[in-house]
Amino acid sequence: MASDVGASYQVARRPRRPAGFWIARGAQYGILILFALYVLVPFMWVIFTALKSNFEIAQDPLGLPPTWRFENIVTAWNVGKFGRYFVNSVIVTVPIVILVVSLSCLAGYGLARLRMPGRMLIFYFFLIGLMVPFTAIMIPLFYILRDIGVLGTYWAMILPQTAISLPFGIFFMRAFFSGLPYDLTDAAKIDGCNDFGVFRRVMLPLAGPAVAALVVFNFMGSWNAFLLPLIYLQSDKLRPVMTGMMFFTTRWGVDYSMSMAGTLIVMAPIMAVYLVFQRQFIQGLTAGAVRG
Amino acid sequence: MIDSIRQFFASRKLRDNATAYAFVLPALAIYIFFVVYPFFYTIYLSLTKWDGAKPVKQFVGLLNYQELAADYRLWSALSHNLIWIVLGTLAPVAIGLFLGVLLWRGVRGMVFFRTVYFLPVVLAPVAVGIIWKWMYNPRFGPINVTLEALGLDFLAKGWMGDPYVALPALIFAGVWGYFGFCFVIIMAGLQNIDMEQIDAALVDGANGPQRLWYIIIPGLRHVLTMITAFTLILGVNVFDIVWITTRGGPGRATHVIGTFTYVQAFRESYVGYGSALAIVMGTVSLVLSFIFISIRERGGD
Repeated sequence: MASDVGASYQVARRPRRPAGFWIARGAQYGILILFALYVLVPFMWVIFTALKSNFEIAQDPLGLPPTWRFENIVTAWNVGKFGRYFVNSVIVTVPIVILVVSLSCLAGYGLARLRMPGRMLIFYFFLIGLMVPFTAIMIPLFYILRDIGVLGTYWAMILPQTAISLPFGIFFMRAFFSGLPYDLTDAAKIDGCNDFGVFRRVMLPLAGPAVAALVVFNFMGSWNAFLLPLIYLQSDKLRPVMTGMMFFTTRWGVDYSMSMAGTLIVMAPIMAVYLVFQRQFIQGLTAGAVRG
Repeated sequence: MIDSIRQFFASRKLRDNATAYAFVLPALAIYIFFVVYPFFYTIYLSLTKWDGAKPVKQFVGLLNYQELAADYRLWSALSHNLIWIVLGTLAPVAIGLFLGVLLWRGVRGMVFFRTVYFLPVVLAPVAVGIIWKWMYNPRFGPINVTLEALGLDFLAKGWMGDPYVALPALIFAGVWGYFGFCFVIIMAGLQNIDMEQIDAALVDGANGPQRLWYIIIPGLRHVLTMITAFTLILGVNVFDIVWITTRGGPGRATHVIGTFTYVQAFRESYVGYGSALAIVMGTVSLVLSFIFISIRERGGD
């Protein structure tokens, strides 16, 4: 249908396309749709299965739910203590994002624009941290966190997650601040701003897009973190969504309907946020690779 | 004397330096205490035998590393990482490139396709693992159900339970969660390709594959090196998706170095041995990053 309309439109303006063109067009769309299905089918299947009863799943594992049992979600939410897990995730993620972004802005700005002896040395020192995988520090970190008495509190995740996120944040913000014109800072200095004033009043307001990308990147990083809370937030009271989900599936693994409803609960919020802030998400999550 | 010290501290230069350091210091302190110090601590622990509880860490020199070299579990885990790296890098980059080229010149529904392809990237690896664990479910998972409906029963199997299939099946799930990332980056890289070159090639009669090979891929060289590096390092560090689905099983069929290290250090309390493993893993990751950074610097624009 759509291609017919397109065809008559094209004919009016250009010489007629050969048949080969339309075959290629068809193949192109065919492939694009095929990959879209590869992505979407698992999602749709999770949603359908989550809204069926166990009996209905056994009867017809693939089809639409005969009745949409939204009460499954409520049951799984209550049984799985997802309320608490979500609250925990928010409690650890918000301070992590604030700490990483503010400290990265400060240090990134300092390393980009301020004179100090050993500036490059400090920058390279941070840069090495970009290459150290979490596994290489996770073992002693457990004993360090225990010894300073934060194991068993949210800080056991906030502190290390902030620390491992800093090298990238600093690298990213330094690159951004280095690219800003010098005239701006000079003008502000002549007007009597000190270094911090220049940073706060002139540079920071310009950093909006970079800060937004860093917020998305770090929000996703700590919201989705799994190994870190698995080791440092072992108590059920502190557990965030990702490790909470693991315990939920282990416990309810044989109850298909319940498990799928749990999966949907974990998936849905982040997908909803993504669909609304699609452009910011894509920019934020790819910023590292493109700039780096 | 006192006066000159006072003068020194009051000097403009020092005050400027002090402000500058004040910008950097908070980040530096957290970084040193929670990243740098633990890193050296890991090296130290890797030279000891310790169960995590005893007050004394018994110093054993390089014994852990000698044992590791002879430990088949390390080599099997590393070989799984290698398979993961090769398949888990080639497949998403190839798919991303393929889709990127198809969508490059603008197609109706462009935003729709991009949104869809990127959708799994925002999911946690844990969620990706859980979804695919259900997809592979032998009794009612869509894959087996579909195969049976098509009369291909002999292909249906317990995907996660078969030691020969479990690892590729997991990688397939990983690719599902990741190719959209490669796609978006490649799309961004394609915007920088010189259209005049393509037009010139068209005039000279270059066909599709020739344009791809001689113009598009060289034009994307930079971007492709970057994602390859990125993906490679992810392949070394893979943990979440394996732990949530198979925990390294069946047998040791899907153990990677990340899961092996975690089990040694936190499940079986071989803290020293686990630390040696962590150092091996860190070294591999460091060397790979280093190689890629130097390649980039050399080819740098």
